Amino acid sequence: MELGLLAAGIGAGIIAIGAGIGIGMIGKGAVESIARQPEASGDIRGAMILTAAFIEGVALIGAITCILLALGVGG
Amino acid sequence: MFQHVFVSQSLSQIKVALFTLLLLCGLPGVVLSAFPTSVSTVSVADSEDAQESSSPIDVMGKVADHDYIESPFGKVYLPRFFWVDGQFYAFANTKKALASNEFVEKEGAIIRADGTPITLDVSITSHLVYVWLGLIFALIFSLWAASRYRRGIGRTSAPKGVLHNIYEILYLFIRDEVIKGYIPKEKASRYTPLLFSMFMTLAFMNLFGLLPWAATATADLTVTATLALVTFVVTQFSGTKTYWGHIFNFPGVPLPVKFILTPVEILGLFTKPLALCFRLFANMLAGKIMIISILGLIFIFTELFGVAVGVGSSVIWVSLTAVLYALKVFVALLQAYIFTLLSAVFIGGALEEHHHEEHDDVHDDVTVMDPIKA
Repeated sequence: MELGLLAAGIGAGIIAIGAGIGIGMIGKGAVESIARQPEASGDIRGAMILTAAFIEGVALIGAITCILLALGVGG
Repeated sequence: MFQHVFVSQSLSQIKVALFTLLLLCGLPGVVLSAFPTSVSTVSVADSEDAQESSSPIDVMGKVADHDYIESPFGKVYLPRFFWVDGQFYAFANTKKALASNEFVEKEGAIIRADGTPITLDVSITSHLVYVWLGLIFALIFSLWAASRYRRGIGRTSAPKGVLHNIYEILYLFIRDEVIKGYIPKEKASRYTPLLFSMFMTLAFMNLFGLLPWAATATADLTVTATLALVTFVVTQFSGTKTYWGHIFNFPGVPLPVKFILTPVEILGLFTKPLALCFRLFANMLAGKIMIISILGLIFIFTELFGVAVGVGSSVIWVSLTAVLYALKVFVALLQAYIFTLLSAVFIGGALEEHHHEEHDDVHDDVTVMDPIKA
């Protein structure tokens, strides 16, 4: 149980690092592209949200695993 | 353990008061929200020892499915329907089912008096009620807008009224930006009704979760999984020859690679809807748990430092929750949008016909890398 909490905490931290780097890079790319080509900002925004959603999905699956570990659902 | 954060029975009343306070302390909340986060982590850790003494209400219970819905006038118990070994039972609520002596409660689950477990439990639950409410509201809103369009308002003239304008903005946004952007133009109109009703229902269900007594239907994996299943089935049935070709017989790769690629592609078929339902579920669940946990800090502080500190610090927590609530309204609409967008992307990907210039490049690259042909 105690180890489950530890695992959940460490896991949540690693998820935050990974998702943060990923979404940060998307944001960097999108902002740079919009600055270079402001007229394409609509398309870029759509692609940005879409890609961010994919990263979010992976991060949330990790987050659910952490919640399950913290609650001790796995026994 | 965050499921034991003390939240008093009066949580519903607090949320009502919250809406009033939202107007009063909206601005300080933004300023104050900068520092309470560091305090909150400490207080949760400290409260671990003290919780046995008090009566904790579990946070997970607030987001779980129940056999009743909460209303301003108390709990409304919902009918239960059981299917046991080919026999159908219907009761007005759980108490009546237990009072009829045909069913008994054992280890938290309801079983038939002779010990047979329930084969199929098709009871109406709180989340189901809110799914229905979301559907009904989406239907009423759309029928109302349709009757106005039929009378010519919005077609021959500009749409009148706030609601009609909101409807037109949402509809045009979903149709032009989301559906036409990702589904080939000539087939887009076939999928517009499905995807737009998906968006409206999800938006209503997500927004219902923000009401003080209501349950968030989308914070239930079964609800989101059902919607993702709809997307999955529609995607498979609208798949073209190119789509299936890319799964079972990827063009332009040597045969040994196909043995690796085909299982990966088949796996990819199922991970897409899985991620789709988990994303929505986790987002709505996390938002709800966060709000309950932060409001629960008031009771932790009262327990630790006395009533004065609890009341005093509640200004911080309530204003922080007010800010989070505003964020949740945005997230509710954003998640409905993302679900619709990804559904459109998946369906659009399945509808795509052979794309010449892109695939010729792939073929060329592979031919060059192929050692036999090179």
